[in-house]
Amino acid sequence: MSSNATSANLPPAARQLPRADLAALVRAIGSIPMEVSETRTDIDIRIDAGHLLALVDALRNRPDLAFDYLRNVSGVDQSPEGMELKYHLYSFKTGYSLQITVPTGTGHPHVPSLTGHYPAADWHEREAAEMFGFVFDGHPNPRNLLLEEDLHIHPLLKAHPLQAAEVMQGIESGPPGFTI
Amino acid sequence: MSIWPEEKLLTPAEAEFDTVDMTINIGPQHPATHGVFRMILRVDGEVVVDCEPYIGYLHRGLEKLTENNDYRQAMGYWDRTDYLAGMACEHAYVMAVESLARIEVPERAEYIRVIMAELSRINSHFLFLGAFGADVGSFGTSFIYAWRERERIYDLFEEVAGDRMFPTYMRVGGVAMDLPENFEERCRWLLGSIRQGIEDLDGLLTGNEIFVERCRNLAPMSTERAIALGITGPILRSTGLQWDLRKAEPYSVYDRMKFDIPWRPDLQGDVFDRFWMRLSEMYQSCRIIEQCLDEMPKGGLVLNADLPKTLRVDNGEAYIRYEGTKGEYGVYAMSKGGNKPYRMKLRSPSFCNLSALREMVIGSYVADAIIILGSLDIVLGEVDK
Repeated sequence: MSSNATSANLPPAARQLPRADLAALVRAIGSIPMEVSETRTDIDIRIDAGHLLALVDALRNRPDLAFDYLRNVSGVDQSPEGMELKYHLYSFKTGYSLQITVPTGTGHPHVPSLTGHYPAADWHEREAAEMFGFVFDGHPNPRNLLLEEDLHIHPLLKAHPLQAAEVMQGIESGPPGFTI
Repeated sequence: MSIWPEEKLLTPAEAEFDTVDMTINIGPQHPATHGVFRMILRVDGEVVVDCEPYIGYLHRGLEKLTENNDYRQAMGYWDRTDYLAGMACEHAYVMAVESLARIEVPERAEYIRVIMAELSRINSHFLFLGAFGADVGSFGTSFIYAWRERERIYDLFEEVAGDRMFPTYMRVGGVAMDLPENFEERCRWLLGSIRQGIEDLDGLLTGNEIFVERCRNLAPMSTERAIALGITGPILRSTGLQWDLRKAEPYSVYDRMKFDIPWRPDLQGDVFDRFWMRLSEMYQSCRIIEQCLDEMPKGGLVLNADLPKTLRVDNGEAYIRYEGTKGEYGVYAMSKGGNKPYRMKLRSPSFCNLSALREMVIGSYVADAIIILGSLDIVLGEVDK
């Protein structure tokens, strides 16, 4: 079995590229208000939910960026300030990777769904929706994924106690004011 | 551009006379679903018209538990995600914490980690070969062949870490203890045994015309579509794209390793190519382990000596990408100070690969749907978290 063939199929810039270049390219998009900063591993773009689709359009369609792969969607409960959504994108064509942060309010904030741009967003968004209570506008199938179908709790919120299952079964009492 | 491809629903029977679709439930307790996974198929005769996957039966709240535990305590949960490759999951987790806390790892520990991660990869791929052979119809033979080598790998893990499936061997800043005295000798012997095992399975399965005929041209997938659906790992590579995080964004000591990403000119991402890709990768993992054994420092610390009793981490966030056995094993970690992570999210490769199942099985036969599911090589512990 020959398994060590060499081919030209490796993406041209598959190695991680300098972050400074990427930050400049992202700023060049213009017209969208954003804050660019750095995390330990990636460039971070902070942007309002209303501008998310326009930004993703630009990131996906500009040939010098060409972000074609949605790695991950992750909610973060930043209460009492609000909540955040973190999107991680990667480009197989240019080798760039970045993070988008979308701050939202608490409760059930509306965020546009990225399923139109990245079909991979489907399950990621369903998971974020049930775990945090986000509402993804335009999602084709917004049902619970990991939790029970008719269970409308959001376990990854900081206000949700660790032992909620025991509370539900009546074995333990939850924190004051907690109901399911 | 439409997100969902136009469904190829029309069967010859349907074109001529009216038929009634039937709904079949498969799982959650079903041997072909490789764990507690349920899918509801709508079939027209033998042809799958629609498929709705249901997951979450093994949901244990990994992320919530991690937020509520000390950085070191939480590690025990992480090798229970992809439980066929516990060492690899631990490696990704400790990399995330080290990135947040900016902790250095001794060189010898990095080599040990890579050896363990690659042995895990071989172990996981062996299970795939065995179980997939059973899915296709070799009954128990491929399973038993695969188990012989897996037992030997687990024996070695037990000797190194004290446990077989859930070793909890990695530590933030290194590994728990140094290798046992005769490790190198035993590991080299094991590699010979593994190579023999791969060849045996290769002969049993690839050498079987029925097996090959059954798998070829089944659910082929283009590279563009695979990327759009978020598929990574061996399934993405089987579409012909030579992309592996160990080469694309190297971590640990992978940038010093010489290995190839298997490739054939006629790769088309079908079920056979996925099988072939995993089989070929195992030889490469053996090469990596051999280089580690040759190159690793023969002595020295295996755990950072300057670690505090309680690990407290500054504010910060990181997204660690790790080439897990099933694909991109991503860990998004956020710290707001203190001894617990504020948020720890697992981007599990099985989860993302499984989300493409619906698209793959529509239009195939019911019997093939089982094989397509098998070819995804999911681990429900990782899907459900």
